[in-house]
Amino acid sequence: MYPNGTRALDDVDLEIEKGSFLFLVGHSGTGKSSLLKLLYREELPSSGQVVVDDIRVDTLRRSRVPKLRRNIGVVFQDFKLLSHKTVWENVAFALQVTGTRTKDVMRMVPRSLDLVGLSHKARMFPSELSGGEQQRAAIARALVGNPKILLCDEPTGNLDPTNTTEIMELLQRINIKGTTVVVATHNQAVVDRMRRRVVRLEHGRILHDDERGYYFRGLGQTALLPG
Amino acid sequence: MDWGRLRFFLGEVFTNFSRNAGMQFTAIGTVAVTIVLLGAFLYVRETIATFGTGVLSQIEIAVFLKDDVDDARAKDLAAKLTADPRIASVVYVPRREGLRRLKDVLGSDFDTSLLTANPLPNAFHVRVRDADLVPAVARSIDRDPRVAKTDYAADTVQKLLKAATVLGRIGLALIILLSISAAIVIANTIRLTVFARRREIAIMQLVGATNMYIRLPFIAEGMLAGVLGAAVAIAVLALAAYQVVPKVAATLSFVTFHVNALALCFELLAVGATVGLVASWFSVGRYLRT
Repeated sequence: MYPNGTRALDDVDLEIEKGSFLFLVGHSGTGKSSLLKLLYREELPSSGQVVVDDIRVDTLRRSRVPKLRRNIGVVFQDFKLLSHKTVWENVAFALQVTGTRTKDVMRMVPRSLDLVGLSHKARMFPSELSGGEQQRAAIARALVGNPKILLCDEPTGNLDPTNTTEIMELLQRINIKGTTVVVATHNQAVVDRMRRRVVRLEHGRILHDDERGYYFRGLGQTALLPG
Repeated sequence: MDWGRLRFFLGEVFTNFSRNAGMQFTAIGTVAVTIVLLGAFLYVRETIATFGTGVLSQIEIAVFLKDDVDDARAKDLAAKLTADPRIASVVYVPRREGLRRLKDVLGSDFDTSLLTANPLPNAFHVRVRDADLVPAVARSIDRDPRVAKTDYAADTVQKLLKAATVLGRIGLALIILLSISAAIVIANTIRLTVFARRREIAIMQLVGATNMYIRLPFIAEGMLAGVLGAAVAIAVLALAAYQVVPKVAATLSFVTFHVNALALCFELLAVGATVGLVASWFSVGRYLRT
Protein backbone atom coordinates (compact mmCIF):
# COMPACT_ATOMS: atom_id res chain seq x y z
CA MET A 1 0.00 0.00 0.00
CA TYR A 2 1.40 3.36 -1.01
CA PRO A 3 1.32 6.44 1.25
CA ASN A 4 -1.40 8.03 -0.86
CA GLY A 5 -3.66 5.15 0.02
CA THR A 6 -3.36 3.31 -3.29
CA ARG A 7 -3.32 -0.43 -2.90
CA ALA A 8 -0.87 -1.77 -5.49
CA LEU A 9 -1.39 -5.33 -4.33
CA ASP A 10 -4.13 -6.78 -2.18
CA ASP A 11 -4.48 -10.25 -0.72
CA VAL A 12 -1.92 -11.80 -3.06
CA ASP A 13 -1.01 -15.37 -2.13
CA LEU A 14 1.46 -16.76 -4.62
CA GLU A 15 4.02 -19.53 -4.49
CA ILE A 16 6.65 -19.92 -7.18
CA GLU A 17 8.42 -23.28 -7.50
CA LYS A 18 12.19 -23.35 -7.58
CA GLY A 19 13.37 -23.66 -11.18
CA SER A 20 9.98 -22.85 -12.69
CA PHE A 21 8.94 -20.35 -15.36
CA LEU A 22 6.09 -17.96 -14.67
CA PHE A 23 4.31 -15.17 -16.48
CA LEU A 24 2.82 -12.32 -14.51
CA VAL A 25 0.23 -10.68 -16.73
CA GLY A 26 -2.27 -7.88 -16.53
CA HIS A 27 -2.76 -4.32 -17.71
CA SER A 28 -0.39 -1.54 -16.79
CA GLY A 29 -0.82 -0.51 -13.18
CA THR A 30 -2.24 -3.81 -11.96
CA GLY A 31 0.70 -4.43 -9.65
CA LYS A 32 3.02 -6.64 -11.70
CA SER A 33 6.03 -4.42 -11.12
CA SER A 34 5.13 -3.96 -7.46
CA LEU A 35 5.03 -7.71 -7.00
CA LEU A 36 8.51 -8.05 -8.52
CA LYS A 37 9.80 -5.17 -6.41
CA LEU A 38 8.62 -6.96 -3.27
CA LEU A 39 10.75 -9.93 -4.28
CA TYR A 40 14.02 -8.01 -4.60
CA ARG A 41 13.08 -5.70 -1.75
CA GLU A 42 12.87 -2.52 -3.71
CA GLU A 43 9.61 -2.09 -1.84
CA LEU A 44 8.26 -3.44 1.41
CA PRO A 45 4.74 -4.75 1.96
CA SER A 46 2.57 -2.81 4.38
CA SER A 47 1.38 -6.19 5.63
CA GLY A 48 2.03 -9.81 4.85
CA GLN A 49 5.09 -11.92 4.24
CA VAL A 50 7.55 -12.18 1.38
CA VAL A 51 9.81 -15.22 1.34
CA VAL A 52 12.52 -15.72 -1.27
CA ASP A 53 14.75 -18.78 -1.10
CA ASP A 54 13.73 -19.38 2.56
CA ILE A 55 14.61 -15.78 3.49
CA ARG A 56 11.97 -13.49 4.98
CA VAL A 57 12.43 -10.49 2.67
CA ASP A 58 9.88 -8.23 4.37
CA THR A 59 11.73 -8.31 7.69
CA LEU A 60 15.24 -8.51 6.23
CA ARG A 61 17.76 -6.12 7.78
CA ARG A 62 19.01 -3.41 5.44
CA SER A 63 22.54 -4.68 5.69
CA ARG A 64 21.42 -8.10 4.38
CA VAL A 65 19.71 -6.71 1.28
CA PRO A 66 22.85 -6.76 -0.94
CA LYS A 67 23.27 -10.48 -0.29
CA LEU A 68 19.66 -11.12 -1.29
CA ARG A 69 20.04 -9.14 -4.48
CA ARG A 70 23.14 -11.04 -5.52
CA ASN A 71 20.82 -14.05 -5.72
CA ILE A 72 18.28 -12.25 -7.88
CA GLY A 73 18.92 -10.93 -11.39
CA VAL A 74 16.58 -8.21 -12.60
CA VAL A 75 15.90 -7.11 -16.19
CA PHE A 76 13.84 -4.06 -17.19
CA GLN A 77 12.03 -2.75 -20.22
CA ASP A 78 14.54 0.12 -20.59
CA PHE A 79 17.59 -2.17 -20.15
CA LYS A 80 19.31 0.20 -17.67
CA LEU A 81 22.71 -0.15 -19.30
CA LEU A 82 25.43 2.43 -18.65
CA SER A 83 25.95 4.29 -21.91
CA HIS A 84 29.60 5.21 -21.30
CA LYS A 85 30.62 1.63 -20.65
CA THR A 86 31.03 -1.12 -23.22
CA VAL A 87 28.94 -4.29 -23.12
CA TRP A 88 31.84 -6.07 -21.45
CA GLU A 89 32.21 -3.32 -18.85
CA ASN A 90 28.49 -3.21 -18.20
CA VAL A 91 28.42 -6.92 -17.44
CA ALA A 92 31.66 -6.80 -15.45
CA PHE A 93 30.31 -3.83 -13.47
CA ALA A 94 27.82 -6.06 -11.64
CA LEU A 95 30.69 -8.23 -10.44
CA GLN A 96 33.17 -5.45 -9.75
CA VAL A 97 30.84 -3.50 -7.49
CA THR A 98 30.13 -6.61 -5.45
CA GLY A 99 33.83 -7.08 -4.79
CA THR A 100 34.50 -10.04 -7.09
CA ARG A 101 38.15 -10.85 -7.69
CA THR A 102 39.49 -9.78 -11.11
CA LYS A 103 40.42 -13.37 -11.89
CA ASP A 104 36.80 -14.42 -11.44
CA VAL A 105 35.50 -11.43 -13.38
CA MET A 106 37.67 -12.45 -16.36
CA ARG A 107 36.20 -15.93 -16.19
CA MET A 108 32.54 -15.13 -15.52
CA VAL A 109 31.91 -12.24 -17.93
CA PRO A 110 32.76 -14.15 -21.14
CA ARG A 111 30.65 -17.10 -20.01
CA SER A 112 27.64 -14.87 -19.47
CA LEU A 113 28.13 -13.02 -22.78
CA ASP A 114 28.42 -16.37 -24.52
CA LEU A 115 25.14 -17.51 -22.98
CA VAL A 116 23.24 -14.55 -24.44
CA GLY A 117 25.19 -14.67 -27.73
CA LEU A 118 26.89 -11.30 -27.47
CA SER A 119 30.56 -12.34 -27.27
CA HIS A 120 31.33 -10.76 -30.63
CA LYS A 121 29.95 -7.37 -29.54
CA ALA A 122 31.61 -7.19 -26.14
CA ARG A 123 33.64 -4.12 -27.03
CA MET A 124 30.70 -2.12 -28.35
CA PHE A 125 28.79 0.56 -26.53
CA PRO A 126 25.05 0.16 -25.89
CA SER A 127 24.24 2.89 -28.42
CA GLU A 128 25.87 0.78 -31.14
CA LEU A 129 23.56 -2.16 -30.45
CA SER A 130 20.00 -2.97 -31.48
CA GLY A 131 17.29 -3.05 -28.84
CA GLY A 132 17.36 -6.84 -28.72
CA GLU A 133 21.12 -6.85 -28.27
CA GLN A 134 20.89 -4.28 -25.51
CA GLN A 135 18.39 -6.46 -23.70
CA ARG A 136 20.73 -9.44 -24.13
CA ALA A 137 23.48 -7.37 -22.57
CA ALA A 138 21.17 -6.51 -19.68
CA ILE A 139 20.32 -10.21 -19.26
CA ALA A 140 24.01 -11.07 -19.33
CA ARG A 141 24.57 -8.56 -16.55
CA ALA A 142 21.65 -9.95 -14.54
CA LEU A 143 22.97 -13.49 -14.87
CA VAL A 144 26.70 -12.97 -14.55
CA GLY A 145 26.71 -13.58 -10.81
CA ASN A 146 24.80 -16.89 -11.17
CA PRO A 147 21.60 -15.82 -9.43
CA LYS A 148 18.99 -18.45 -8.63
CA ILE A 149 16.18 -16.19 -9.77
CA LEU A 150 15.74 -13.95 -12.82
CA LEU A 151 13.01 -11.31 -12.65
CA CYS A 152 12.02 -9.62 -15.92
CA ASP A 153 9.82 -6.53 -15.89
CA GLU A 154 8.40 -6.07 -19.38
CA PRO A 155 11.61 -7.39 -20.97
CA THR A 156 10.23 -7.12 -24.50
CA GLY A 157 8.27 -3.89 -24.09
CA ASN A 158 10.66 -1.94 -26.30
CA LEU A 159 11.37 -4.67 -28.84
CA ASP A 160 10.02 -5.66 -32.25
CA PRO A 161 8.42 -9.14 -32.67
CA THR A 162 11.59 -10.80 -34.00
CA ASN A 163 13.72 -9.60 -31.12
CA THR A 164 10.89 -10.41 -28.72
CA THR A 165 10.88 -14.02 -29.88
CA GLU A 166 14.65 -14.26 -29.55
CA ILE A 167 14.63 -12.82 -26.04
CA MET A 168 11.85 -15.20 -24.96
CA GLU A 169 13.79 -18.16 -26.37
CA LEU A 170 16.82 -16.96 -24.45
CA LEU A 171 14.80 -16.74 -21.23
CA GLN A 172 13.54 -20.26 -21.81
CA ARG A 173 17.09 -21.54 -22.29
CA ILE A 174 18.09 -19.84 -19.06
CA ASN A 175 15.17 -21.48 -17.28
CA ILE A 176 16.15 -24.92 -18.58
CA LYS A 177 19.60 -24.41 -17.08
CA GLY A 178 17.90 -24.25 -13.67
CA THR A 179 17.21 -20.57 -13.02
CA THR A 180 13.76 -19.61 -11.78
CA VAL A 181 12.38 -17.07 -14.28
CA VAL A 182 9.50 -14.67 -13.60
CA VAL A 183 8.38 -12.49 -16.50
CA ALA A 184 5.95 -9.62 -16.04
CA THR A 185 4.43 -8.67 -19.36
CA HIS A 186 1.32 -7.52 -21.11
CA ASN A 187 2.40 -9.04 -24.42
CA GLN A 188 -0.41 -11.46 -25.09
CA ALA A 189 1.23 -13.12 -28.11
CA VAL A 190 4.30 -14.07 -26.12
CA VAL A 191 2.30 -15.56 -23.28
CA ASP A 192 -0.07 -17.51 -25.48
CA ARG A 193 2.74 -18.96 -27.59
CA MET A 194 4.83 -20.17 -24.65
CA ARG A 195 2.06 -21.95 -22.71
CA ARG A 196 3.71 -21.69 -19.32
CA ARG A 197 2.25 -20.93 -15.90
CA VAL A 198 0.31 -17.67 -16.08
CA VAL A 199 -0.70 -15.56 -13.09
CA ARG A 200 -3.08 -12.78 -14.03
CA LEU A 201 -3.36 -9.71 -11.82
CA GLU A 202 -6.16 -7.22 -11.88
CA HIS A 203 -6.45 -4.25 -9.53
CA GLY A 204 -3.74 -5.77 -7.39
CA ARG A 205 -5.49 -9.10 -6.93
CA ILE A 206 -4.83 -12.48 -8.51
CA LEU A 207 -7.58 -13.03 -11.05
CA HIS A 208 -6.42 -16.45 -12.17
CA ASP A 209 -3.39 -18.73 -11.91
CA ASP A 210 -3.08 -21.51 -14.50
CA GLU A 211 -0.43 -24.06 -15.37
CA ARG A 212 0.15 -23.92 -19.13
CA GLY A 213 -2.22 -20.95 -19.31
CA TYR A 214 -3.20 -18.21 -21.69
CA TYR A 215 -3.21 -14.44 -21.28
CA PHE A 216 -7.00 -14.59 -21.02
CA ARG A 217 -8.31 -17.60 -19.16
CA GLY A 218 -9.81 -20.27 -21.34
CA LEU A 219 -9.20 -18.37 -24.51
CA GLY A 220 -6.53 -19.19 -27.05
CA GLN A 221 -5.17 -16.48 -29.28
CA THR A 222 -7.52 -17.61 -32.03
CA ALA A 223 -10.58 -16.70 -29.99
CA LEU A 224 -9.60 -13.06 -30.24
CA LEU A 225 -9.38 -13.00 -34.00
CA PRO A 226 -11.99 -10.76 -35.52
CA GLY A 227 -15.14 -12.38 -36.80
CA MET B 1 42.30 -5.93 -3.09
CA ASP B 2 44.05 -7.03 -6.29
CA TRP B 3 45.42 -4.69 -8.93
CA GLY B 4 42.40 -4.99 -11.26
CA ARG B 5 39.98 -4.04 -8.49
CA LEU B 6 42.15 -1.13 -7.40
CA ARG B 7 42.35 0.15 -10.98
CA PHE B 8 38.57 -0.15 -11.34
CA PHE B 9 38.07 1.76 -8.10
CA LEU B 10 40.52 4.54 -8.98
CA GLY B 11 38.99 4.75 -12.45
CA GLU B 12 35.58 5.35 -10.88
CA VAL B 13 36.98 8.04 -8.58
CA PHE B 14 38.76 9.97 -11.35
CA THR B 15 35.80 9.69 -13.72
CA ASN B 16 33.62 11.21 -11.02
CA PHE B 17 36.16 13.86 -10.24
CA SER B 18 36.70 15.05 -13.79
CA ARG B 19 32.99 14.99 -14.59
CA ASN B 20 32.48 17.74 -12.02
CA ALA B 21 35.66 19.68 -12.72
CA GLY B 22 34.03 23.11 -12.40
CA MET B 23 32.39 22.37 -9.07
CA GLN B 24 35.50 20.64 -7.81
CA PHE B 25 37.50 23.74 -8.66
CA THR B 26 35.22 25.78 -6.40
CA ALA B 27 35.42 23.19 -3.65
CA ILE B 28 39.20 23.03 -3.82
CA GLY B 29 39.37 26.84 -3.78
CA THR B 30 37.18 27.08 -0.69
CA VAL B 31 39.22 24.46 1.12
CA ALA B 32 42.42 26.23 0.07
CA VAL B 33 41.27 29.61 1.42
CA THR B 34 40.19 28.01 4.68
CA ILE B 35 43.45 26.18 5.12
CA VAL B 36 45.61 29.17 4.17
CA LEU B 37 43.92 31.06 7.00
CA LEU B 38 44.25 28.10 9.34
CA GLY B 39 47.93 27.73 8.48
CA ALA B 40 48.63 31.45 8.91
CA PHE B 41 46.74 31.37 12.20
CA LEU B 42 48.69 28.39 13.53
CA TYR B 43 51.93 30.02 12.39
CA VAL B 44 51.22 33.34 14.10
CA ARG B 45 49.91 31.65 17.23
CA GLU B 46 52.99 29.52 17.60
CA THR B 47 55.24 32.53 17.03
CA ILE B 48 53.41 34.59 19.64
CA ALA B 49 53.46 31.71 22.10
CA THR B 50 57.20 31.20 21.62
CA PHE B 51 57.79 34.93 21.89
CA GLY B 52 55.59 35.36 24.94
CA THR B 53 57.07 32.52 26.95
CA GLY B 54 60.55 33.69 25.95
CA VAL B 55 59.85 37.15 27.31
CA LEU B 56 58.17 35.85 30.45
CA SER B 57 61.14 33.66 31.32
CA GLN B 58 63.32 36.74 31.22
CA ILE B 59 61.21 38.83 33.56
CA GLU B 60 63.15 40.12 36.54
CA ILE B 61 61.82 41.43 39.78
CA ALA B 62 63.66 44.55 40.86
CA VAL B 63 63.89 44.55 44.65
CA PHE B 64 64.86 47.95 46.10
CA LEU B 65 66.25 47.91 49.60
CA LYS B 66 65.69 50.46 52.34
CA ASP B 67 68.48 53.04 52.70
CA ASP B 68 69.45 51.88 56.20
CA VAL B 69 70.16 48.32 55.09
CA ASP B 70 73.91 47.80 55.02
CA ASP B 71 75.83 45.33 52.88
CA ALA B 72 75.89 42.61 55.55
CA ARG B 73 72.11 42.66 56.04
CA ALA B 74 71.70 42.77 52.28
CA LYS B 75 73.79 39.58 51.98
CA ASP B 76 71.54 37.92 54.57
CA LEU B 77 68.52 38.76 52.48
CA ALA B 78 70.28 37.48 49.32
CA ALA B 79 70.92 34.16 51.05
CA LYS B 80 67.29 33.94 52.14
CA LEU B 81 66.06 34.66 48.60
CA THR B 82 68.45 32.16 47.01
CA ALA B 83 67.07 29.48 49.34
CA ASP B 84 63.55 30.03 47.91
CA PRO B 85 62.94 27.14 45.43
CA ARG B 86 60.83 29.39 43.20
CA ILE B 87 63.74 31.74 42.58
CA ALA B 88 66.24 30.98 39.84
CA SER B 89 68.87 33.62 40.47
CA VAL B 90 69.60 36.66 42.62
CA VAL B 91 72.01 39.39 41.53
CA TYR B 92 73.03 42.11 43.97
CA VAL B 93 73.27 45.54 42.38
CA PRO B 94 74.83 48.07 44.82
CA ARG B 95 73.83 51.71 44.32
CA ARG B 96 77.19 52.62 42.64
CA GLU B 97 76.68 49.85 40.12
CA GLY B 98 73.07 50.91 39.61
CA LEU B 99 74.10 54.44 38.76
CA ARG B 100 76.74 53.22 36.33
CA ARG B 101 74.14 51.05 34.53
CA LEU B 102 71.76 53.96 34.37
CA LYS B 103 74.50 56.09 32.76
CA ASP B 104 75.13 53.33 30.22
CA VAL B 105 71.47 53.21 29.26
CA LEU B 106 70.90 56.95 29.08
CA GLY B 107 74.31 57.85 27.61
CA SER B 108 75.66 61.39 27.44
CA ASP B 109 72.23 63.00 27.85
CA PHE B 110 72.47 62.26 31.51
CA ASP B 111 74.69 64.71 33.37
CA THR B 112 75.72 63.10 36.69
CA SER B 113 77.63 66.16 37.77
CA LEU B 114 74.31 67.73 38.73
CA LEU B 115 73.77 65.07 41.35
CA THR B 116 75.03 65.85 44.84
CA ALA B 117 74.47 62.27 45.98
CA ASN B 118 73.57 58.90 44.40
CA PRO B 119 69.74 58.79 44.48
CA LEU B 120 69.51 55.05 43.78
CA PRO B 121 68.96 52.45 46.49
CA ASN B 122 70.82 49.17 46.74
CA ALA B 123 68.88 46.56 44.77
CA PHE B 124 68.53 42.88 43.84
CA HIS B 125 67.59 41.61 40.40
CA VAL B 126 65.62 38.44 41.07
CA ARG B 127 64.80 35.98 38.31
CA VAL B 128 61.92 33.57 38.94
CA ARG B 129 61.79 30.01 37.58
CA ASP B 130 58.16 30.12 36.45
CA ALA B 131 56.74 33.30 34.94
CA ASP B 132 53.32 32.61 36.50
CA LEU B 133 54.84 32.83 39.98
CA VAL B 134 56.26 36.32 39.47
CA PRO B 135 53.41 38.22 41.21
CA ALA B 136 53.39 35.85 44.22
CA VAL B 137 57.16 35.92 44.66
CA ALA B 138 57.16 39.71 44.38
CA ARG B 139 54.51 39.97 47.10
CA SER B 140 56.37 37.67 49.48
CA ILE B 141 59.60 39.61 48.98
CA ASP B 142 57.69 42.83 49.58
CA ARG B 143 56.80 41.69 53.11
CA ASP B 144 60.44 41.59 54.21
CA PRO B 145 61.23 44.59 56.48
CA ARG B 146 64.49 45.30 54.66
CA VAL B 147 62.70 45.79 51.34
CA ALA B 148 61.45 49.22 50.30
CA LYS B 149 59.72 48.30 47.05
CA THR B 150 59.48 45.60 44.36
CA ASP B 151 58.81 46.18 40.69
CA TYR B 152 58.32 43.97 37.66
CA ALA B 153 57.12 44.32 34.03
CA ALA B 154 54.96 41.25 33.97
CA ASP B 155 51.69 43.18 33.75
CA THR B 156 52.48 44.40 30.25
CA VAL B 157 53.50 40.98 29.02
CA GLN B 158 50.47 39.35 30.56
CA LYS B 159 48.22 41.87 28.84
CA LEU B 160 49.94 41.07 25.57
CA LEU B 161 49.42 37.34 26.04
CA LYS B 162 45.80 37.89 27.03
CA ALA B 163 45.22 39.89 23.85
CA ALA B 164 46.87 37.10 21.87
CA THR B 165 44.52 34.56 23.47
CA VAL B 166 41.43 36.61 22.63
CA LEU B 167 42.63 37.12 19.06
CA GLY B 168 43.34 33.41 18.88
CA ARG B 169 39.78 32.56 19.90
CA ILE B 170 38.32 34.90 17.31
CA GLY B 171 40.60 33.40 14.68
CA LEU B 172 39.62 29.89 15.70
CA ALA B 173 35.89 30.69 15.47
CA LEU B 174 36.46 32.19 12.02
CA ILE B 175 38.32 29.09 10.90
CA ILE B 176 35.61 26.77 12.20
CA LEU B 177 33.00 28.76 10.28
CA LEU B 178 35.14 28.62 7.14
CA SER B 179 35.67 24.88 7.57
CA ILE B 180 31.92 24.39 7.76
CA SER B 181 31.39 26.38 4.58
CA ALA B 182 34.18 24.45 2.86
CA ALA B 183 32.50 21.21 3.96
CA ILE B 184 29.17 22.43 2.60
CA VAL B 185 30.71 23.28 -0.77
CA ILE B 186 32.31 19.84 -0.93
CA ALA B 187 29.07 18.19 0.12
CA ASN B 188 27.20 19.99 -2.66
CA THR B 189 29.84 19.01 -5.19
CA ILE B 190 29.57 15.40 -4.15
CA ARG B 191 25.80 15.61 -4.32
CA LEU B 192 26.13 16.74 -7.93
CA THR B 193 28.35 13.74 -8.63
CA VAL B 194 25.87 11.48 -6.89
CA PHE B 195 23.11 12.96 -9.00
CA ALA B 196 25.13 12.58 -12.20
CA ARG B 197 25.74 8.96 -11.24
CA ARG B 198 22.29 8.05 -9.99
CA ARG B 199 21.94 5.43 -12.75
CA GLU B 200 25.17 3.75 -11.71
CA ILE B 201 24.11 3.86 -8.08
CA ALA B 202 20.70 2.39 -8.91
CA ILE B 203 22.38 -0.46 -10.79
CA MET B 204 24.91 -1.01 -8.02
CA GLN B 205 22.07 -1.32 -5.52
CA LEU B 206 20.19 -3.60 -7.88
CA VAL B 207 23.05 -6.04 -8.33
CA GLY B 208 23.76 -6.12 -4.60
CA ALA B 209 26.65 -3.76 -3.98
CA THR B 210 26.89 -2.85 -0.31
CA ASN B 211 26.22 0.74 0.72
CA MET B 212 29.80 0.99 1.92
CA TYR B 213 31.06 -0.02 -1.49
CA ILE B 214 28.80 2.49 -3.22
CA ARG B 215 29.93 5.16 -0.80
CA LEU B 216 33.64 4.59 -1.11
CA PRO B 217 34.36 6.27 -4.49
CA PHE B 218 32.42 9.36 -3.44
CA ILE B 219 34.25 9.57 -0.15
CA ALA B 220 37.56 9.18 -1.95
CA GLU B 221 36.45 11.98 -4.28
CA GLY B 222 35.59 14.27 -1.36
CA MET B 223 38.87 13.51 0.36
CA LEU B 224 40.71 14.16 -2.88
CA ALA B 225 39.12 17.61 -3.10
CA GLY B 226 40.07 18.28 0.52
CA VAL B 227 43.64 17.12 0.10
CA LEU B 228 44.11 19.07 -3.15
CA GLY B 229 42.72 22.17 -1.44
CA ALA B 230 45.19 21.68 1.40
CA ALA B 231 48.03 21.20 -1.09
CA VAL B 232 47.18 24.48 -2.81
CA ALA B 233 47.03 26.17 0.59
CA ILE B 234 50.41 24.76 1.58
CA ALA B 235 51.93 26.08 -1.66
CA VAL B 236 50.51 29.55 -0.92
CA LEU B 237 51.74 29.43 2.67
CA ALA B 238 55.20 28.26 1.62
CA LEU B 239 55.43 31.15 -0.83
CA ALA B 240 54.37 33.54 1.91
CA ALA B 241 56.85 32.04 4.33
CA TYR B 242 59.76 32.53 1.96
CA GLN B 243 58.73 35.95 0.67
CA VAL B 244 57.13 37.71 3.62
CA VAL B 245 58.57 36.24 6.78
CA PRO B 246 62.23 37.25 6.19
CA LYS B 247 61.13 40.88 5.70
CA VAL B 248 59.01 40.86 8.84
CA ALA B 249 61.77 39.14 10.75
CA ALA B 250 64.21 41.86 9.65
CA THR B 251 61.91 44.53 11.07
CA LEU B 252 60.92 42.73 14.25
CA SER B 253 64.34 41.37 15.09
CA PHE B 254 63.37 40.50 18.65
CA VAL B 255 60.74 38.00 17.49
CA THR B 256 62.02 34.56 16.58
CA PHE B 257 60.04 32.83 13.83
CA HIS B 258 60.05 29.18 14.54
CA VAL B 259 57.52 26.70 13.22
CA ASN B 260 57.83 22.98 12.49
CA ALA B 261 57.00 23.23 8.78
CA LEU B 262 56.71 19.49 8.07
CA ALA B 263 54.38 18.83 10.99
CA LEU B 264 52.28 21.83 9.98
CA CYS B 265 51.98 20.49 6.40
CA PHE B 266 50.75 17.13 7.66
CA GLU B 267 48.29 18.81 9.99
CA LEU B 268 46.86 20.92 7.19
CA LEU B 269 46.60 17.94 4.81
CA ALA B 270 44.83 15.99 7.55
CA VAL B 271 42.40 18.85 8.08
CA GLY B 272 41.65 18.98 4.33
CA ALA B 273 41.12 15.23 4.13
CA THR B 274 38.88 15.25 7.21
CA VAL B 275 36.71 18.07 5.89
CA GLY B 276 36.33 16.17 2.59
CA LEU B 277 35.60 12.89 4.36
CA VAL B 278 32.91 14.26 6.66
CA ALA B 279 31.27 16.27 3.87
CA SER B 280 31.07 13.43 1.37
CA TRP B 281 30.06 10.88 3.99
CA PHE B 282 26.94 12.82 4.89
CA SER B 283 26.28 13.84 1.30
CA VAL B 284 26.14 10.25 0.00
CA GLY B 285 24.57 8.93 3.17
CA ARG B 286 21.55 11.11 2.70
CA TYR B 287 21.11 9.80 -0.82
CA LEU B 288 21.51 6.13 0.08
CA ARG B 289 18.95 6.20 2.85
CA THR B 290 16.12 7.11 0.50
